[in-house]
Amino acid sequence: MLTLETIDLNGAQSLLNLSNNLNLNKILPNKITIWKLRNNNPMRKSYINNKITIEAFDALTKITVEMSKALYPYIREILQSRDDIDKNPYPWNDFKNRFIELINERFNINSMRVKKLIDRNGNDKILLKNLLTLALCSSDEGYQKLRTSLLNF
Amino acid sequence: MLQNKLVFNQSSVRLEIIGLPDYSNNENKNQISIISQWKLMIIDTPLIEGNIDHLSSIMGAFYSYSNFLINNDNAFYESKFIDIIAENYFTHKVLLKSSKPNIKPLKINIGNAVLSDIINCFDQFNASIKVRKVNSVVLDNPPKKAFLKFINKDITFNYILPPLISLCSLFLISSSFIYLYNLSEDKEKKALINSNNTLHSIKSINTIL
Repeated sequence: MLTLETIDLNGAQSLLNLSNNLNLNKILPNKITIWKLRNNNPMRKSYINNKITIEAFDALTKITVEMSKALYPYIREILQSRDDIDKNPYPWNDFKNRFIELINERFNINSMRVKKLIDRNGNDKILLKNLLTLALCSSDEGYQKLRTSLLNF
Repeated sequence: MLQNKLVFNQSSVRLEIIGLPDYSNNENKNQISIISQWKLMIIDTPLIEGNIDHLSSIMGAFYSYSNFLINNDNAFYESKFIDIIAENYFTHKVLLKSSKPNIKPLKINIGNAVLSDIINCFDQFNASIKVRKVNSVVLDNPPKKAFLKFINKDITFNYILPPLISLCSLFLISSSFIYLYNLSEDKEKKALINSNNTLHSIKSINTIL
């Protein structure tokens, strides 16, 4: 989700709009609910263990897939930029810089796992895997693919 | 007879499906149920075409490979018609083997962007109601253990722990008061009672006399 928010500057509002469009208002009624669920990530500064339910997990997966469908052209452009890094490095570098900024802002940078995420020389693999997963899941069957991938994680 | 043609585009990839509707099934004239030809055009690579079996195996290969990529680090796929191997994080080697003799296999190197375009094109093809499905996504079921993390342990503890503790404490307290029947002790007692009886009977005989 943070990868999507790196691409869409108004990501939090887009997530809420998608939740309304998909009729997920009961599970994700407002930005605070989404924020609380996202705070289940132990790498965050504001980590709270508030027990994510299977319904909330499914709802978050659905809005992630819908958002990656909407942002597919941008995701593709960044992937293409990384493939041809000598010809057109700007989209990839911009994405990488903003991702690191967001991580610094929201995540606990003393954690070793977070340090790997903000390591400019070593985080390409993680960023590419995130982007490729979103690109490959941006279809009607993407929800099942992403759900299986997250449950296998 | 004119054949129908459906085209699915995604940035650098174009998939063309050519075929006929199945009139015996009362299908619409725009439908394609009998696929006679298909063409996969990827920018900067030679044209890929073949029969329905080739399309099915190529789609299956790309779907399986993409699922491997999402779920594992070491992704590769091998089959009779097609091999796909990840060269590094940015390049995927595709080897297409012809079913005709004396034709060399075709080697193509594709990047992540082109790979996601191919999958997107196949997804569009699968989602289209105008054409018969050839190969859908093969998905592994998530392990049952994965769902355990969603069980709310607080609720479980609140419902199961109090009766369990009460049963345990009941057992412990009641076991301290329990009288266990001891056979050897019982025999000794019986022997003692018998001897007492004998003594009493001797005494009573003496009293009578």
